[in-house]
This record gives sequence, structure tokens and C-alpha cells, in this order.
Amino acid sequence: MTLFLRWGLPGAVVVACVGYLIYSASGGAAEYYVTVSELRAHAPAGDVRVAGVVQDDVQKSDGLHVMFTEKDGTASMPVDYRGTLPDIFKPGITVVVEGRLGTDGIFHARSLLAKCPSRFSTQPYTS
Amino acid sequence: MSVPLLHAAIHVVILGYLGAGALLAALVMGGFSALLSFWSGVRQDETFIQVGRRAFYAAATFAFLSAVMLEVALLTHDFSLAYVVEHTDLSTPTALVAAAFYGGQEGSLLYWTVILGVLGSASLIASASLGGRVAAYAGGILAAILSFFLFVLAVVASPFELLSVAPPDGLGLNPILRDGGMLIHPPVVLAGFASFAIPFSFACAALLAGRADAAWITHTRRFALFAWSLQTAGLLLGMWWAYHVLGWGGYWGWDPVENVALMPWLATTAYLHSSQVQERRGRLRLWNFGLVITAFLLVVFGTFIVRSGVVPSVHTFAISAIGPWFLGFLVVCLAFSAVLLTFRSNLGVEPGPAPAVSREGAFVLQNLLLLGVVAVVMWGTVLPLVSGMFGLQRVVGAPFYERAAGPLLAAILALLAVGPLLPWRHAGRATVRALRWPVAAGALALVFLLIVGVRAAPALVAFPLAAAAATTALTEYARAAVRKPRSILRKRRRYGAYLAHLGLVVAVIGFAASHFGQQEKDVSLQPGESVTVAGYTLTFAGSEQRQLADHTELVAGMRLGDQTLEPSRATYAGLGGQAVTHVAISTTPTADVYVVLAGTNLDGSATFRVFVNPLVIFIWAGGTVIIMGVVLGNLGERSAAVELARRRIPVTLPA
Repeated sequence: MTLFLRWGLPGAVVVACVGYLIYSASGGAAEYYVTVSELRAHAPAGDVRVAGVVQDDVQKSDGLHVMFTEKDGTASMPVDYRGTLPDIFKPGITVVVEGRLGTDGIFHARSLLAKCPSRFSTQPYTS
Repeated sequence: MSVPLLHAAIHVVILGYLGAGALLAALVMGGFSALLSFWSGVRQDETFIQVGRRAFYAAATFAFLSAVMLEVALLTHDFSLAYVVEHTDLSTPTALVAAAFYGGQEGSLLYWTVILGVLGSASLIASASLGGRVAAYAGGILAAILSFFLFVLAVVASPFELLSVAPPDGLGLNPILRDGGMLIHPPVVLAGFASFAIPFSFACAALLAGRADAAWITHTRRFALFAWSLQTAGLLLGMWWAYHVLGWGGYWGWDPVENVALMPWLATTAYLHSSQVQERRGRLRLWNFGLVITAFLLVVFGTFIVRSGVVPSVHTFAISAIGPWFLGFLVVCLAFSAVLLTFRSNLGVEPGPAPAVSREGAFVLQNLLLLGVVAVVMWGTVLPLVSGMFGLQRVVGAPFYERAAGPLLAAILALLAVGPLLPWRHAGRATVRALRWPVAAGALALVFLLIVGVRAAPALVAFPLAAAAATTALTEYARAAVRKPRSILRKRRRYGAYLAHLGLVVAVIGFAASHFGQQEKDVSLQPGESVTVAGYTLTFAGSEQRQLADHTELVAGMRLGDQTLEPSRATYAGLGGQAVTHVAISTTPTADVYVVLAGTNLDGSATFRVFVNPLVIFIWAGGTVIIMGVVLGNLGERSAAVELARRRIPVTLPA
């Protein structure tokens, strides 16, 4: 009984606190990670992250504002983003945009990440 | 024409086949060593234990030889090897060609294997005090792990894959990796990862042999310290590299790749503290085994996560065939350790309950909190995988980790202030008195922050706790300096630990200040125009194109006071004209001015992103002090167990 009161109870309290912190934080901070077609099918509420390929219609109005179309296999959507672009940003690469789809049908991105072309390999060599 | 062809043919024979052959020989020796070590350990046959051990040395030597082959192939630009073609080209600087050895998937695994072989051999040589049986089992487990890596290298992901036609030039190294950081960060991190296998092997061997005495703790602790120090350096170098190269103004992004390096470090931090409870009080034996084993399992888990592409990461790793093999290896290791811990749970019999408010209690609480942080990081890392099984994938970003791990880290910081003042066994009134200095320092810091005008709650918690923790370490030094100055050197493990605590506090101040106080501005400037961020005024002087050996650079001049910062964008001809940002940073003791050139525009203006990051230099300084404290504290230090035994000798001698 003393063993439980001295060690078990405080231990259980710590474990419960960790559990509560994880539960409450993931409720508020988790975002859906979807493809363009999934977003088109049913858009989850709140901010989402959408992965897709940048198409050829990239328009830069000044150094920081960019509009382009993001597409996966079947669906596409226009993206509007203001901020610094990753170094490797260009048509053909896969990007992950974070933000929400506006009522105007345009995805307003808060952040834009490029998928790095892997640290472990560039392109497999085929001769 | 025939001479170069013959030359190429010799290359193929010598390097490709010899390298692959050395790997196979290493695999055979490794497997032989694993079987023989277990068998001779069970039979307690001293001769065959020695043979098994030498087979391990042979396996390590063959692995090393194959690494030499790969390095020679890289340096001589032997483009008959696919690995050389995929990771280097003729224009890559020689140092980076050499570094490409661990820059790719297969090469990094080979590097890992070689480190495992070298450290494993060193640990076996140093294990004489453990007795033949534990050392034999440890050798067997090490050989089994080594053989797994050699199998993957020889069969699944060989760095010696040959191309039927050798191309005239390679594809080159990814420009982001063409940086000095590439020469130090990956080898340190990979060596850190590899070194966690040693404490794991000795923990499992001690469990197998049914021994939970102080000898294995002393031995394991030494290698756990080594692994921990390497991993600390690796994490720091990673942050430093990300900060100086990637150009997003931060150093830690909670990416899965970073998370999996952090988790084993946290678990080992817990072990390094709780092992003292076993050394001094004979408690927490099973718990210590568990922590060492957990750290290694987290390494294997991390390798699986990172190399298999099962969770979305900014780094899309080459999705290769090694993922399932590592998953299988993880399952085997998990099952093996779970069975061992269950069957040997009788080793964990404790000598009766200890009072909770004591040094022991503080260590246990610290352990639980650290494992809590591991749980948070783990959940954030695997959430996409778990949620993906039940519907749409969900991901978490930095806010999740800050909200969930923040309070735990604050509690750890508080414990850093209180724990060292608690005596073993029982805390009394003297402890309450000793607490007056850290409490006063914390309160003073809080009042100061409120007067200065800081209102953010996390900052109001973090800085006062850091002040209290620093005060605790400093009062311990002051007390020793007044009473027994020589004890600081004699008990250097203890005072080294306080130095590490101080380093941690300095780093925490850097983390908190740069996290809560970062300011940023995106701006387009014509030449001659200025921008002011957080009191720093930068004037755009103009930009120019520079032609270098393997790339062109667009350099912008930004005047800050009497110095000129030169952020630039480099464009490489190879790799489809990929561009890389070169950040310009001006470091002062109070803040970093961090300038990124986003691009130039048609009207002659240039676009910049400017960050002012307060006290970032504290992170690098604090991190260095942590490693210094651990290294200085443990160099030539007698273990606590030996120390206790030595002190007891006069007591047992007849009067």
C-alpha cells in the first residue's frame, strides 16, 4: 500500500498528464493531409495540407507573390501563395501547401514546402 | 582506345567485385561469430568464446575493407559503379566526393556497419571485467546485429551495384549537400545511431546471463555516455547546419527525420540519470535494462521510418527495398527484448520502497517526464501512419509539439533546479533551506521580465526556471569551492554533470529567446533602399552575377552598420539547373541578423526575407558546454561502484 501511495500514485499522475497533453494538443493542432482529389471530394474543416505537382502556369507578380495550379492524378486546383519560395520550386516538382480552400475556389496557402529530392539519392541512374 | 577500356575493366574487377566480395566475407564471419559466441557462451567454453570474438574482429575488418573499396572507387571516379554515378560527378570538390561515401542510402548503411564493427570490437576488448559469459553473449548479439546490416548491404542495397555501361560523368551531389556541414554532421549522427547497439548488446547479454550487478552498469554506462555524446553533437550539428543552410530562419522543424534522432537521445539521457540510482542505491535495475533496450529499439524504429517512406516528410527519401527488412529486424529485436525482460523480471527485486521525496524520486520523475517527451514525439511522428489506417491522413506540426511537450520540458527544467539539492533516501528541512537561492533567483528573473514588459506566459515560465536551475548548479560549485575546492576535481563526474546542466540552461535560454523573440520581414528593395527589423537597419547596395567553377551565383550586397552581408542564390548547371540559397548571417552576442535572398525582379529590385533571431549563439555555446561537461567529468573517472568498493576496504580489514 505504501509502495503504491509513494510511487504508483505519483507515477500514474505523471502518465495521465502526458496522456492528457498529447490528447488535447493533437485535437487542436492536427491537420488533415490530403491529395487534391481528396480535397475536392470532401474538404475537411479548418486548415489542411495538400500535396500535388506544380503545373506549368506559374505566375510570379513580384518576388513574393505566386499563383499556380497544383494537380495530382485526376484533380487540380489553383493556389495563391505569398512568401519565400523553396529553392527547388519549379513546374514539375511536388509541393505540400498548407492553408484552406476559399469560397472563390482558390486555395490560399499559408506555407509552401517542397519535397526535397531526397537526401539519399538524386535520380536513379538509367543508361 | 583500348587502353582506357582495359583500365575501366580493371576498375570493375578490382573495386566492384572486391568490395562485394569483402561484404560477403564479412557476412560469413559475422554469422559464424554470432552462432559460435552464443553456443560457446552456453557451454562456457573459453577457447571457443575467443574464437567467436575473433570472428567478430574479422567481420569488422572485412566490412572496413569494403568501405575502403567504395571510398577508392569514389575518389578515382569509377563510374562503373551505380553508387559513384548517382552521388558524384567530375566537378564535385574532392572533399565532398569523399563525403559522398555516406551521402547515399547504401553508403550510409555501410558507414554505419563499419562504425558498429569498430565500436563493437572496442567494447568486446574492454569487457574483460564482465566475465566470459556476459562478454560471449554480448559478442553474439553484436555479431547478429552486424550480420543483419551486412546482409542488407550484400543482398538488398549493395553499394557495389555495377552498371553495364560506365557513363563518362556522374549525376553529382545534391547542391543542398555541397556544404561544409556535409563533412561533419552525417558521420557524427550515423556514428551516434550505430553506437546505441553496444549498450543494448551488453544489456541483453547481462539479462541472458542473469546478471544485474554493478559491473555491467559501469561498462554499459561508458558506452551509453559515448553514444549519448555523439548523438548530442550530431543533433547540435544538424541544427547548426539546418540553420545556416536551409534559409527558413529556424534550426528545428519537428520533421520525422529530426524526431527519430531525438528519441533515442532522450531515452539515453534518462538512462544516464537513472543508472546512478542503481550504482548508488541498487535500485531500478530492470528499469535501467528497459531504458537501454528502448534507446536501441527507437534507433531501429527511426531507421525504418526514415528509410521506408511510410510517413510524409519534407525529405522524400528514396523508397527502397530496405524498409520491410528493417521492420522485420525491429519486430525481432522487440520480441527478443520483451521475452528477455519478462523471463528475467526476478532480477528487478527492489530492496523495499524508498521515500518519494529524495534524489531517487527526482530521478524517477525526471525519467518519466523524459519518456513523456518521447511519447509526445513518437505520437507526432506516427500519427500520419495511424490516422491513415482509419481514414484521411492527419499530420501535426510544431504547435502540437510545443503544446504537448512544452509543459513537460518546463517540468524537467524545474527538476533541474530542485533535483541536485535533494539528498539520497530522504529530504528534510535542510533541503528546503537549500532551495532558497534557486527560488529567489527564479522570482527575481520573473520580476525583471515583468518590468521589462514580457507578457507571454511560456516565456515567463521558461526564463525564471532557467535562472533557478542555473543558480542550483552555481551554488553547488560555490559550496564546493568554499569547503573543499579539490573535491571539484576528485568528484569530477558530479561536477562535470553540473557543468552539463549549466550548458543545458544556457542552451534553453537560447531556444526560448529565439523561439519567443524571433522577428521576420519579407521585403522588396530597390538599390539604395533600407529596411529596419527589430532595430537593425539593412541597406540594399546592389546585386551582381558571379561565375564559379561548377555554378553561378547571384550575390546581393546588404549593408548592416559597417559590415556588408552577402546573401546569394547559387544555380548549378547539373541537376536541371537547381538553385540553392546561401544565407548571410551576422552574429552578435544578443542576436543573429539572418538575411535570405528570395530573388531579383525585372524592375531591378531584389526580394529579401530578413529574420532577427535573439540569442541563437547561446544554443551553440550551451551545447558545447554540455558535451564538455560530460567529457571532462568522465575522463579517467573511477566508476561509483569501484569508488564505493575502494572506500569499503578499510572497514572490512581486521583492526
